[in-house]
Amino acid sequence: MDAATLSSSTTLEPLFAIMAQALNTLESTFHKLPGSAVIQRYVRSSHQNDPGRTLLELLLVIFAIRTLLQSRTRADRKGSHFIKFEEKEINELVEEWVPEPLAQPLTPNEQADLGVLPIISGPNGPRPKLLATGKTALNLASLNFAGLAGNEHIKQLAIETLRKYGLGSCGPPGFYGTLDVHMDLERDIADFLGTEASILYSQGFSTVSSVIPAFCKRGDIIVADRSVNFAIQKGIQISRSAIRYYDHNDLNSLEEVLQQVEKERKKRRGPLTRRFIITEGIFARDGTMSDLPKLIELKYKYKYRLILDESYSFGAVGRTGRGLTEIYNVPASKVDMILGSCAIGLAAGGGFCAGSQIVVDHQRINGPSFVFSAAMPGLLAVSASEGINIIRSTPSIFETLQENVRAARSILDKVDFITIPSHPASPMIHISVKHTPLVQPASAGLLSPASAALISPTKHAKDQMRQEYEAEERLLQEIAEECLSQNVIVTRAKTLKGQEHNEPKPSIKLALTAALTKKETEKAVGVVKAACVKVLGRRR
Amino acid sequence: MAVSKPTTPSMFKKKSGTSLSAMASAASYLSALSQADARARGALNGSPTSTPALSISSSVTSSSQDTVLHEEEDYSDGLALPARPPTSEQVFKTVHTEFGHCASEEFRLTSQHTPGEPVPGHVDADPPYYILFSTYISYLILIVLGHIRDFLGKRFRSASYAHLMPKGGYAPLNSDFDSFYTRRLKTRMDECFSQPVTGVAGRTILLLDRVSPDYNHTQLFTGSPNPRLEHLGQGGCADAVEESIKRYGVSTLGSRLEGGSSDLHTVSEALVAKFVGMEDALISSMGFATNSTYIPALVGKGCLVISDELNHASIRFGVRISGASVQMFKHNDMESLENLLRESISQGQPKTHRPWKKILLIVEGLYSMEGTLVNLPKVIELKKKYKFYLFVDEAHSVGAMGPQGRGVANYFGIDPRSIDILMGTFTKSFGAAGGYIAGSKTIIDHLRVHGHSGPYAEAMTPPVLTQVVASMASIMGVKAPLPAPSSSGLRLSSPAPLALEYEYVHPGPAPHSSLPSWLSLPRELSDGSEGSTRLRRLAFNSRYLHNGLIKLGFITYGHPASPIVPLLLFNPGKMNMFHTMMKDRQTPIVVVVVAYPATPLVTSRVRFCVSAAHTKDDIDTVLRACDEIGDVLDLKHGIPRSERWPIEQITERAVELARMMK
Ligand SMILES: Cc1ncc(COP(=O)(O)O)c(C=O)c1O
Repeated sequence: MDAATLSSSTTLEPLFAIMAQALNTLESTFHKLPGSAVIQRYVRSSHQNDPGRTLLELLLVIFAIRTLLQSRTRADRKGSHFIKFEEKEINELVEEWVPEPLAQPLTPNEQADLGVLPIISGPNGPRPKLLATGKTALNLASLNFAGLAGNEHIKQLAIETLRKYGLGSCGPPGFYGTLDVHMDLERDIADFLGTEASILYSQGFSTVSSVIPAFCKRGDIIVADRSVNFAIQKGIQISRSAIRYYDHNDLNSLEEVLQQVEKERKKRRGPLTRRFIITEGIFARDGTMSDLPKLIELKYKYKYRLILDESYSFGAVGRTGRGLTEIYNVPASKVDMILGSCAIGLAAGGGFCAGSQIVVDHQRINGPSFVFSAAMPGLLAVSASEGINIIRSTPSIFETLQENVRAARSILDKVDFITIPSHPASPMIHISVKHTPLVQPASAGLLSPASAALISPTKHAKDQMRQEYEAEERLLQEIAEECLSQNVIVTRAKTLKGQEHNEPKPSIKLALTAALTKKETEKAVGVVKAACVKVLGRRR
Repeated sequence: MAVSKPTTPSMFKKKSGTSLSAMASAASYLSALSQADARARGALNGSPTSTPALSISSSVTSSSQDTVLHEEEDYSDGLALPARPPTSEQVFKTVHTEFGHCASEEFRLTSQHTPGEPVPGHVDADPPYYILFSTYISYLILIVLGHIRDFLGKRFRSASYAHLMPKGGYAPLNSDFDSFYTRRLKTRMDECFSQPVTGVAGRTILLLDRVSPDYNHTQLFTGSPNPRLEHLGQGGCADAVEESIKRYGVSTLGSRLEGGSSDLHTVSEALVAKFVGMEDALISSMGFATNSTYIPALVGKGCLVISDELNHASIRFGVRISGASVQMFKHNDMESLENLLRESISQGQPKTHRPWKKILLIVEGLYSMEGTLVNLPKVIELKKKYKFYLFVDEAHSVGAMGPQGRGVANYFGIDPRSIDILMGTFTKSFGAAGGYIAGSKTIIDHLRVHGHSGPYAEAMTPPVLTQVVASMASIMGVKAPLPAPSSSGLRLSSPAPLALEYEYVHPGPAPHSSLPSWLSLPRELSDGSEGSTRLRRLAFNSRYLHNGLIKLGFITYGHPASPIVPLLLFNPGKMNMFHTMMKDRQTPIVVVVVAYPATPLVTSRVRFCVSAAHTKDDIDTVLRACDEIGDVLDLKHGIPRSERWPIEQITERAVELARMMK
């Protein structure tokens, strides 16, 4: 035994010598290599002369190289469903295959709607000119709540910005696209709402569908209102989180869902995951308003984070247009993420997400449409900043707006045949057809389409529902066109039929503005009323 | 990472003499043009901080403070003033910092495919093994160190890790695993990213120093993917935009289908369709959203999307939302594409083997990270055989490629209508924002109604639309109106007498009637001469830089005609150093460095984006800088030493070099 070890160590000695020499030559050649100094310095500084770790790292290198060398093969190719074909068979199959057309032509109704789309000639605003007739009309379709459109001061600033910065920013925010005016606007928004920070996106619509996947990952839980807007639906879809819906604007239902989720989690004993409540301030599809204090109470109670889309409430409600946090007088910091649109609220462009510094910084690297899209044009950022300046210093804007809203509601609430789901303070008013046996002849007595959908309808019922939908839509379109012919621009709430989660009820969407006087508003809404009565009354 | 600033100036001194020779002439140049300068200054409110650059521009430029230069600054860096003074008969209408002065007709090329010449695919050039090895090691070290720091940090400095740990029943907002890359790798090179800027980004850019916000640097800018076909802030386009703000205001208030449509949209969409040579087009207010909201309206369940593996995130976003199945093929590899097509068509849908409803191939015209040009001739050939639909994202190629700047189809001399859908953005070549989709009327109308943006997303704003119209018109040129009976110009509302309408032929000049009547462009824009000069300058600059870098011995990717020239660095540590060394030069150069996850792990790179605004001298400067830095950082692993050219030879034989095929 002893002799064996002895001899082996003596035989190994020359081997060690050779190895030492080899190492030496290796080292010297390494030094001769250009750039080796850099590597050496780099290795030395990051590596603390720990031999054990070198071994570990080497192993990891080998592992890394191996995984990288393994070609990425598609998984299903060798799956059990793969059928092996001869070349000739493939050629035949290719020959035979007939694809569907890329896009179906529009249906006559769609075509007609597109044809009568009001197109504004010249500047849009409260009293624009219609391209088709050349007549001036009162505008209840365009979103201009605070009446900032056409503000001469904003225009002047925009021109100055144009001269200084050019129009487009030159790249994504991470690559020299961030201008100082973007940072100014982010600061202005955060300051206005009272959050730590905010982040700008270059389109309002793409904001929320980018914010959600930045935070909600696979395995996380989202509890959302059943009737959230389309952008939120898409954000949820792309996040791949587990999704639970609660009944529209029903916080008791929300609490039930929260309790249920909690129960399930306890049963599963899963790890702690991120949980989010996603809802809107004023709902885009019907103008109802969330009860923010109650939402915040629930969020704290069940330890959720709240993502609140204020696209239609920022710059629209509250004493100075701050949105729901101002109406309910809750600190904005209690909402984890407030999303808003500078295009809707400030008549400029883009959207934002306001929240804590951590929330904002996280998005700067993880928000898909922030990272991979060019920053918004500088002049739009400046216009938005000035918009904030104006609304925060002019509370009378929102007094006028509320006065107009009250005036409009007092006219509309009296009209038969229609229902208005919107909150009395919402400057966006949705009008839908009241369900009467006349509009809904066959399935009279049945529930409204939304709730009927829950009872998994038969095909026949489904068809019938679609027909009802179409009939309602046609009536509303008739109303809109009737208004247009009276020089009041009104639009049906356009939706993506067949693509929405929980199809919204067809409606006409009025967007009131502080730029119209009370008289004008009354006149315009009067025309809407008359049109409703005329079109719906005719049915009777 | 051990990244130290180069503190040894001697290292660079030996060659900087060449660039210093310009000093004397710069001084003479200054005096020679002081007169013209004074004239220009007269129009500039005499602001002391305004640029002393040449603005003999006829247009009124009220506040051109785009380049805040310090009075005492010397001009030897060639940024504010050209190194070689122009002669007295050369009149430049642009500001040199924005759009470099380059009068020599030599430095022009036409961006065009030579028929019959093979389209280079994407070749992965391999560096020596020790580079690869050290790159892996670097990442490893970073990863290991990062984990150790996380491990220790969470235990001993929990306050700064609070947001990564569960707290009070809340899971952390970003799990440490997800954010590991950003925290441990990206933050190390943060100085290369997210640098805020101010002023007009053109040939040069003004960086805002994040440490001391009042000290700005002007730097030669190669970072923007913006071929700068029109100059911003100044000149005809900006005048048009100003006019549009006065006329239209800043916003059109609402979505296209709900009261946000204006006549300007109609006009712009028609012009875009003409520009790209399609029947109809629609415009969306954001490039990213153009893909992410319109692709789902094209494909859905039961459809297959075949997508290049390096397609942009917006395409992937859109495809994922659409619910269609996706298959990827190897980047720009036509063989891989054909195999995939054969396999997918023959196999049909997974499990059921039902035939696919339709197959949509999505490729980019010019890839933003690789600079590769799609092999369009081959794709069209495959399309005929395999009957798939073709969607080409021309974000980077529209307005930059082709003899008339109409994109890849123009470059290859292919009829655009043999492509089903052309998508592009206005962010790059047109200096605007947003994107378009062009195709047949049926498809576009379908998208108008069924695309997500139609009812929900804000419409594009008037200033942006005007920028698009004006810059497109300046590339196209405008066909003078035929003698019209009414002198008031053509009103949009009243259709012009059709007999007088000029029949548009692609890719010809824009008919006068296709522009808003109030839009008046200066002559050099409306006759298209300036646009064409710019296109040819861009083509020259692209090829010159690309071939120059190759001749210096660097590994580059991409098509030589592409304005995007990626230079491979491999080692992540070199990114920071390259960036810093470029920035610290006498003529500071701003570059964009990109690394994982935007690129594969090993192929970190610097991405040069040349612009028509750069002059040949600028490209020389960049090449010279790369030459020196490349030696220091050991970056030259391309062609063998014997085939390389010294930098002097490259700059002297630039014209020959640019015309050389790869
Ligand atoms: C191929 C491609 N598509 C779309 C986009 C998005 O364009 P935008 O920056 O205008 O949103 C980009 C931008 O980088 C791109 O490279």
